Amino acid sequence: MDWFKRNSRALLFFAALLALCAAVTALRLIDPIVLPSPWSVVRATPGMLRERLLADIGLTLGRVLAALAVAGVIGIPAGLFLGYRRRAYEVIEGPLHALRSIPASALFPLFLILAGVGETSIVALAAYPSLLVILVNTVTGASLANKRRLYQARLLNLTTLQVATDVLFYEALPNIFDGIRTAVSYSLVLVVAVEMFIGLGERGLGRSIYLYQSTYRIPETYGAIIVAGLIGILLNWAVTKAQEHMLRWLPNAHEDE
Amino acid sequence: MNNSATSAGTALQLEGIDFSYATSSDGTNGQLYEGFSLCIEPGSIVAIMGASGSGKSTLGRIMAGVLTPQKGSVRRSPDFTQPSDIVYVDQHPMNDVFPWQTVLENVRYPLEKLKWDGPRRRERICYLMTLFRLGALANAYPAHLSGGELQRLALSRCLSWRPKLVILDEPFSALDGKVKAEITSALHELALKDRTTMVLITHNVSDALALGMRCVVIANRPVRIISDLEFLNGFPRDNSSPDYDAMHQALISGIRDGLV
Repeated sequence: MDWFKRNSRALLFFAALLALCAAVTALRLIDPIVLPSPWSVVRATPGMLRERLLADIGLTLGRVLAALAVAGVIGIPAGLFLGYRRRAYEVIEGPLHALRSIPASALFPLFLILAGVGETSIVALAAYPSLLVILVNTVTGASLANKRRLYQARLLNLTTLQVATDVLFYEALPNIFDGIRTAVSYSLVLVVAVEMFIGLGERGLGRSIYLYQSTYRIPETYGAIIVAGLIGILLNWAVTKAQEHMLRWLPNAHEDE
Repeated sequence: MNNSATSAGTALQLEGIDFSYATSSDGTNGQLYEGFSLCIEPGSIVAIMGASGSGKSTLGRIMAGVLTPQKGSVRRSPDFTQPSDIVYVDQHPMNDVFPWQTVLENVRYPLEKLKWDGPRRRERICYLMTLFRLGALANAYPAHLSGGELQRLALSRCLSWRPKLVILDEPFSALDGKVKAEITSALHELALKDRTTMVLITHNVSDALALGMRCVVIANRPVRIISDLEFLNGFPRDNSSPDYDAMHQALISGIRDGLV
């Protein structure tokens, strides 16, 4: 009940949007080929899920999570090291920002040449901008680490690895989560886009959207797009929950409760 | 700069210290310390007093080795063999704790890293949690503690491994009288039990008198010692005694002289 109260405005907005769509399609103000009725989308959904979409959702989610895992496993330790050894970061800062300026999608042909047409190239393409954004955020967090706490680490004779895992990681964690949140969006967008255009094994959520659209199954097209949106919301919710748990020690962590 | 060991019977000896921060905001070279000397005996509790901005915290950081003077020598006791033997406790207690650890984890962590064995570690944690009244807060995070609780946690963490020299920078600045009295009593007990040398940096006469066995009043630009007084009273201080009153007056006039 509380959840409904907290989200009443957003729910009201979606209800109004749905009502508007229903009214527009009922009055045939827009061609149903362009905008099908919400009910036809709802009716198409169970069949669509049975037909292929459940498997496609799993595949797309797997690719997104694999890309995020690669980005996190490389980006976080590298970011902690570069944030701690600021001079090393200064050497690579320029090239790193230059790389970030190149749209990841523009590099896809290069990834195809390097990794071939396959899962590796899809995951690598989504992992690439995710890694950069997680790396840069981690560097920022680690380089802003509290100097007094680092002084304590020296007093306690911590090894560089212990400084990284016991101090810098936590100091950088709020920034790391900012990076992960952006990386989730990048990964989902890129995986869905690549699935649309290379259609590896004709599978994946992006490929479903493309195939439904190209066969004029417009209610299914809308249904699949909505599912893609819901995956984005789900991933963001998961990041928020993980962030709330892992940053429960922050000063304002309980203020909203 | 000479960092050699002191002769036996001295915990810390500063001799002929020169120190300046690179350039002050008005563009002038701010020579803060010039030929400054001070000796701290082992096991003593020395209060360093001075007005705000007089360079007390800088002195504490030089003593702790956080800052290096441009000239002069900082000699430390040959007993101080580990980096952890000297600890500087910041005036902002949140800087002295790991906010991602609970109260209990904060006290336990240094002991684990310094490889205290299990029974000895547990005994020490139990003693400190009782002394600083942290038992009921064991699972709380530092950000959710009051100012007094946080200060108690910072002190128990920094004193957990029995450092030989503790430099306390304004540890009571944001605390009310009752909490100050509790912490002062705990610090005094620890100093005696662990034979810890303590340097208390403060601008507050009452704080200096509450804990110090000796009070050194400094004035700045360049920093110099205005008065250096031994405190004869026992502990806890009887602030209605004539001795206390005389000491109070002496310190106040010392600070006034420094401001002239």
